[in-house]
Amino acid sequence: MEENKKMTMALCTGSFDKLIVAGIILSGAVAEDMDVEIYVLLYGAYAFKKENGAKIDTSSEYPELNRELKTSLESMNVPTWVDFFTTAKELGNVKFYICGTAGKIWGGEKVSDFIDLADDICGIGEYVDSAQNADVHMLI
Amino acid sequence: MTTEELQNTTADKVVDARGTACPGPLLAAKKAIGEISSGQVMEILSADEGTRRDIPKWATKKGHEYLGTIEDSGFFRIFMKKG
Repeated sequence: MEENKKMTMALCTGSFDKLIVAGIILSGAVAEDMDVEIYVLLYGAYAFKKENGAKIDTSSEYPELNRELKTSLESMNVPTWVDFFTTAKELGNVKFYICGTAGKIWGGEKVSDFIDLADDICGIGEYVDSAQNADVHMLI
Repeated sequence: MTTEELQNTTADKVVDARGTACPGPLLAAKKAIGEISSGQVMEILSADEGTRRDIPKWATKKGHEYLGTIEDSGFFRIFMKKG
């Protein structure tokens, strides 16, 4: 049987708009049966902290459009970024790895300090190796 | 298939994804395809314009047969046969 294609994503953002973009792209990848590894870096790790997660609702880009964006997304029944990621994980082979340094910046040392989606804490070497072996690699 | 043939087709599974925006219908199709057998027909209802192109491409790539799309009032009926 043909091996699944691989996607590796570096998720540096903690802005909910970009997290939704990541969730939409991830959904497409899962629909294509791609194996996906997401390396959660810097502000991404902040969004993944247990006390944050779905509560994250600020965007760094065009903050004045925050309210309009949220209203539109809600009226279109677009899921939250956490829901996107959760569904993708249920449907496919998706792993989330939190960068150890980024985790520490926000006071998270163990995987249990992050939302349940997180699979493990990782080092940068693992990310670079994953990116080298991916068919699709992206930075959000 | 012609529009008339599609209109006379009774799908083995109908997936109503009209309440969702992209990628909702695609994910709904992906979920539901696992619930039917090879040779059975699935109909996806979607009000999302992008899905009209997305699902046929996805279906063909995944080894299913795209049968065609009917445009209804405000939504699309997309038919595919599981490979």
